[in-house]
Amino acid sequence: MYKVHNKSSSFAKIYLILIFLLLYTPILFLIFYSFNSGGTMGSFKGFTLDWYRDLFKDMRLFLIVLNTFAIAILSSLVATIVGIFGALAIHSYKQRKTRNTLLSLNNVLMVSPDVIIGASFLILFTIGGIKLGFISVLLSHIAFSIPIVVLLVLPKLTEMNPTLMDAARDLGANNWQILTKVILPYITPGIFAGFFMALTYSLDDFAVTFFVTGNGFSTLSVEIYSLARRGISLNINALSAVLFLFTIALVIVYFLLQQRSNLKTMGVRK
Amino acid sequence: MENTTIIEFHHVKKKYDDDIVLDDVTFEMERGKFYTLLGPSGCGKTTILRLIAGFTEATSGEIFLDGKKVNTIPANKRKVNTVFQDYALFPHLNVFENIAFGLRMKKMKQAQIEVKVKEALQFVNLAGYENREIEQMSGGQRQRVAIARAIVNEPDVILLDEPLSALDLKLRTQMQYELRELQKRLGITFVFVTHDQEEALAMSDEIFVINEGKIQQSGTPIDIYDEPINRFVADFIGESNIVQGKMIQDFLVSFVGQTFNCVDQGMKPNEAVEIVIRPEDLEITPTEKGKLKVEIQSVLFRGVHYEINAIDDAGNNWLIHTTKKVIIGEKIGLSFTAESIHVMRHDETEEEFDKRLGAYMEGESNA
Ligand SMILES: Nc1ncnc2c1ncn2[C@@H]1O[C@H](COP(=O)(O)OP(=O)(O)O)[C@@H](O)[C@H]1O
Ligand SMILES: [Mg+2]
Repeated sequence: MYKVHNKSSSFAKIYLILIFLLLYTPILFLIFYSFNSGGTMGSFKGFTLDWYRDLFKDMRLFLIVLNTFAIAILSSLVATIVGIFGALAIHSYKQRKTRNTLLSLNNVLMVSPDVIIGASFLILFTIGGIKLGFISVLLSHIAFSIPIVVLLVLPKLTEMNPTLMDAARDLGANNWQILTKVILPYITPGIFAGFFMALTYSLDDFAVTFFVTGNGFSTLSVEIYSLARRGISLNINALSAVLFLFTIALVIVYFLLQQRSNLKTMGVRK
Repeated sequence: MENTTIIEFHHVKKKYDDDIVLDDVTFEMERGKFYTLLGPSGCGKTTILRLIAGFTEATSGEIFLDGKKVNTIPANKRKVNTVFQDYALFPHLNVFENIAFGLRMKKMKQAQIEVKVKEALQFVNLAGYENREIEQMSGGQRQRVAIARAIVNEPDVILLDEPLSALDLKLRTQMQYELRELQKRLGITFVFVTHDQEEALAMSDEIFVINEGKIQQSGTPIDIYDEPINRFVADFIGESNIVQGKMIQDFLVSFVGQTFNCVDQGMKPNEAVEIVIRPEDLEITPTEKGKLKVEIQSVLFRGVHYEINAIDDAGNNWLIHTTKKVIIGEKIGLSFTAESIHVMRHDETEEEFDKRLGAYMEGESNA
């Protein structure tokens, strides 16, 4: 028994390593060539940081990075606030059936293809007469982030013992105080998780953004796409490398938050 | 002038959809006493507490706190605090902040809060635990924090919903003493809910026995134990022998085919009644001296006494508590005094019951 178990686990290990190699090789390949002085991805001539130097000198690109972050942070903030109230609203329905229906409606938005969402936003903005640009991108990012926040906040609300609210009221708290002094502190881990998740979604969204950016406004992913279409420059590699590192950092933060909230809830459940 | 009545229910009814959970409940509770709501699970005890606290509204009827009608006054505006069954302590706050919660809602000054919280912790023997997290506390300690969180607000009434049911036996007995002691020191009204009759008898000034949404009987522990109004109360409060009988006339009752002297009166001649005799009121005698003759079926050693199950010639079971040692199969006599026969009428309301007992008292003092 023991042996078999060992064998299968070593097989699983090799399998996992292979999968991860397959997934990460292109990225590592890209990053590797960002240090190439040769100027193409064909052959590695020598080590250089020129591409990164170019990158940090490029004012246009710098603006795009700023735009991207402005969109990401603003949209995640708004989506988090709206999402919290959305989750509270769904949670306030006593009937399980209504609750599940609302949750499913929320989840459909999460899983429907970006292309469809992007196209429908484009139609909406065109009909609504909203000029494509910063505002349209911001609005669409907010819209697709809200379901994410709802999905991550709702379990925390469900987990919360409802007598806590009775207890707060019993001790003299009004509705607003119950919200700010009891509910929000309790679901804080879920709120942070939702915010960071929304942030990552917004930062690397391509499809939806592609539909709703007009002329003259661009985010990083859209910019990288158009650079890549125009022809290879190792600038892209350097940019991708920076983005990749940043994403990793976000994932780590998210992971740490998750871990902390797990510890917390285990404590609460005795 | 302060009202002596602190809580009053006037024909209160509570329905959930079509389920009648409380049916025409009327009672008064006085300031500074220890009350217990006693009844089986699902009889509506928690619902009564929730109505007093203001977490739920009565379907009909009136509820008064300190003489004011409070039917539509929300929980946060009532001078009532609750100790919840699952304690409901805030997991994101430490012990100090949990207890300070109510004071912070009242916007009290920090210095004053510190003094009060410290005092409350001392009251529940938890001095020095201010900075502990809730998850670091044991069940018994959480219980005390929950009590401290309630008393620190100096309410008129404290409601306790089965607060001891999650504790082990030893801790439970200790907390019974402490709670009773605490109530006396604070001098405020406690409304305590339990389904444990021993707990109720040990702690209360007054007990309300509830079944199926109705108050069956209220009174001091001794009243209720000695004069149960009906079969439910007799059965629920302690163990009892209940047999069918007939009231021949005042002070004379017949059951198991014999006639006995008793101390009850005020019924119709030959009215069908139920007779209660407590197991500890039955005395074992030699067969020839006994009022009843029974054969012993089983004997259980209970520590302080033997619990004997015996059967009489008519086939009635008798439960006896005694310190005498007996043998299974042995025939013995049972003797009891006229005072230990309790006669219950069928379907007598508490009002009628009190009236009959009142008349009987008057008769006694006139004689
Ligand atoms: N929110 C509710 N909705 C529907 N029925 C309820 C609700 N709360 C309590 N009940 C019903 O009311 C009855 C009395 O409940 P409760 O007061 O909690 O009993 P107890 O505390 O004596 O065990 C039970 O039959 C219970 O099912
Ligand atoms: Mg209950």
